Amino acid sequence: MNKSMTTLSAVILATSLFLAACGNNNADTANPSGTSQPSPSSTGTGTSTTDPSADTAGLVTASDISKLPDIAKKRTDTIIVGLTDPSGSFTPYFQQSGYDGNVSSLLYTSLVKVDDKGVPIPGLAESWEISADSLTYTFHLRKDLKFSDGSPLTADDVAFTWTILHDKSYDGDSQVNSLLVKGGAAYKEGSSTSIEGIAIIDPQTISVTLEKPNASALTLLGSDVLSKAYYGKDYKQGQLDYMKKLSGSPLGNGPYKLEKFIPGQEVRMIANENYFEGKPKTEHFIYKTAAGDTWQYLETGEVDYASFSATKENIDKLKGLGFVNILNYTPSTYGYLQLNLEHPALKDKKVRQALTYGLDRQSIYVDANQGAGAIANIPSSPISWSYTEEGINPYKFDQDKAKQLLDEAGWAVGSDGIREKDGKKLTIHYLGSKSPSTDIFIAVAKEDYEALGIKFEPEVFADYNALASKVEGGDYDLAAFSTPLLTDPADGLIQFLDGEIKGYDNPKFIELYNKGLATTNIDDRKAVYKEIYTLLNDDLPVIFTNYKKSVYAYNGRIQNLSVSPFNGLASSLPKWTLGQ
Amino acid sequence: MRTYISKRIMYMIIILFAASFLIFCLYALTPGDFITGNIKLTPERKEELREIYGLNKPVIERYVTWMNNAFHGDFGYSLSQQKPVLTLFNQYIWNSFLLAIVSTFLTWLVAVVVGVVAAYKQYSWFDTIVMVALFAAMSIPSFFIGLLLIKLLAVDLKWLPPGGMLTTGSNATGLAYVKEVIHHMILPVMVMTLLGVGSLTRYFRSNMIDVIKQDYIRTARAKGLKERKVLFTHALRNALLPAITLVGFELPALFGGSLIIEKIFNWPGIGQLYMQSFSLRDYPLLMGFTLFIAILTVVGTLVSDILYHVADPRVRL
Repeated sequence: MNKSMTTLSAVILATSLFLAACGNNNADTANPSGTSQPSPSSTGTGTSTTDPSADTAGLVTASDISKLPDIAKKRTDTIIVGLTDPSGSFTPYFQQSGYDGNVSSLLYTSLVKVDDKGVPIPGLAESWEISADSLTYTFHLRKDLKFSDGSPLTADDVAFTWTILHDKSYDGDSQVNSLLVKGGAAYKEGSSTSIEGIAIIDPQTISVTLEKPNASALTLLGSDVLSKAYYGKDYKQGQLDYMKKLSGSPLGNGPYKLEKFIPGQEVRMIANENYFEGKPKTEHFIYKTAAGDTWQYLETGEVDYASFSATKENIDKLKGLGFVNILNYTPSTYGYLQLNLEHPALKDKKVRQALTYGLDRQSIYVDANQGAGAIANIPSSPISWSYTEEGINPYKFDQDKAKQLLDEAGWAVGSDGIREKDGKKLTIHYLGSKSPSTDIFIAVAKEDYEALGIKFEPEVFADYNALASKVEGGDYDLAAFSTPLLTDPADGLIQFLDGEIKGYDNPKFIELYNKGLATTNIDDRKAVYKEIYTLLNDDLPVIFTNYKKSVYAYNGRIQNLSVSPFNGLASSLPKWTLGQ
Repeated sequence: MRTYISKRIMYMIIILFAASFLIFCLYALTPGDFITGNIKLTPERKEELREIYGLNKPVIERYVTWMNNAFHGDFGYSLSQQKPVLTLFNQYIWNSFLLAIVSTFLTWLVAVVVGVVAAYKQYSWFDTIVMVALFAAMSIPSFFIGLLLIKLLAVDLKWLPPGGMLTTGSNATGLAYVKEVIHHMILPVMVMTLLGVGSLTRYFRSNMIDVIKQDYIRTARAKGLKERKVLFTHALRNALLPAITLVGFELPALFGGSLIIEKIFNWPGIGQLYMQSFSLRDYPLLMGFTLFIAILTVVGTLVSDILYHVADPRVRL
């Protein structure tokens, strides 16, 4: 007993030490896309996986390509990219790790893609129509589409994919089943054997009818397609367990197909000659598992491509290498401080505004990060088509304004310097997860808030899951989070509506939110989102904090490389070539 | 002997039961579960998934289900990797084992030789230098020495690869494959040996010093035996006896992987896998692995007790 106890406590101790030890890892490998479990190394103020989005303006080309290490020069038909930790489960919709999502985004292609602003463009579907009531979506597939084994891809496969996502045993995180497809609920319960709203018109045409308009349906439904012949042969309604067995042997339709997965080491892929846009230019592509620091692999030429936080130090070091091109990007996420709106003090809008004015966000998120960040004031990423700064209050750091707002809200400075109202002291219980950015936040916020007469009580957790569960329990005032990758503007707003952020209940917001999804016209939606952003910017159901800034560094020999903000590498990878 | 072993095995089973329950409770009570970490899910979907995975059931019920399956040889599917836990073990443990067995062997070899010589020449300049060097090696943190060696030997001098187990994209087979793995193993094995050798050498040195002062060593010398024979046959055998206890403790370490070394050198071992599954709260994998280590620990102590009896007939079981 004693010995097992010792082992166990040693393991737990080692675990926590280890978490602490690798917390200050400011270099990520390629960022996970799609499904996202936050990785321990990215538990920043935010704790979310960041996804790529390029700001193509800022490309720095390699200054001296001759410095390229020999090992990289020798590769003529292979490109290697580091990826933190692919686990080998490569079926889209059925994977749990965002890193597996990176892999499957190359093995599969979606019906509808999005361009660099997040506007839908044709993928496997060459066109689509949306009915006047915004309820029925009709997709027209391209002719002669094939899976990588040469078998045809038809509307049947699309219908199959949508159907199994409604199965009651489906345990992935696709949101298709929350779209309210007509008949979807009946299928899930098992009272119907097919989904009423899905109609196959001919092998190239399929339509789907929703019960309620939802503008994000186009991209959600227009995602990857699974082969019915391959994934559906063992399917019985209510029984999806067999999918696990197929997770290591994907059959896709993307630019690459899986050659070999070596657990903990590599995912080897080979160009797919059946890819609908033609076989990719580079024959081999490898995702190399690189859980720790990626610097050493880029420096020695073992990987061709890596992503880093855009700190001045990192950029200078990358420039010093000489053989890499450096590309700036802003991930399409935003960071925020969640407020406990069930606590009386924070129910008051003036207090929330005071907390925002009184916090030196510039120091915390921009200066302390050596410029690798920007301040957020609305729930949208600056690269989204819906982003605006017009009529948005920037909440510039202003302690006097904050004090004035607190006075107006009735919080008067007490004898001990702490503000009180109705005999209660104004305290802020902050929760964060262990990371250098949390340390910076606590240091600055404590000083700022104490200067306002607010008692600041930080509490730091070893990892993200512990933090999130504590927040779910409700015992907090303030907690730092970041959103997952946002594609549609509505993605960044859903948390104010679905109960994730408890206690925010503004009928005006709900009305606007529904209005934003009721039309699919982008200009109309832009106007609605502008209104929503102005509203939330004033209401502050959360304190908007920051955007991250990162850089990609890649082997200067790679040509035609661009990174789409929403699809990562997948959209330009087929065109990459290795120059001399 | 036989009654002793059967009694010990009885105890072992009871200990393992208690340990498994305790481990299960500890994991179940760690704040957050597998679902909490997925920031894409809405609260309703989270509840649905907890229902599917059975995470909303009471801890005792979950434990009984888990134990029941484990008895039938089913250790469950890893939630994050979507693969059977045993398959994952098989994929990762042998890589860890390879590093551990080689570095353990080297550690013991170096420790025995250096320990014996240092003890024999106690307080000589050799002894002093060795002792200072050992203290230095013991006090350097593994991640620091690891990163330093990567910087020097891999990035600057380009003699050795910076990490991993294979050259990326390599299709080597047979002897070429073995060579490649050895090439990649040098750095991690070097660091592991360096860190482990300190305490073990000191252990052997002090044992040896005690033994050399014994009467039977003086007798052996008085008989006119060669010094080499006195030292390595008579003295070393007796000095090694207490080390048999250590052999038992090495057993879990051989299979347990090394969190830090594997992370720094990007080695595809079980330690890394365990680490990730902890932060994701992947209970089946965590439970399976911890129990596996617990079994090895218990078995290891039994083995070392038996070995002790075999090596030293004075010890009665």
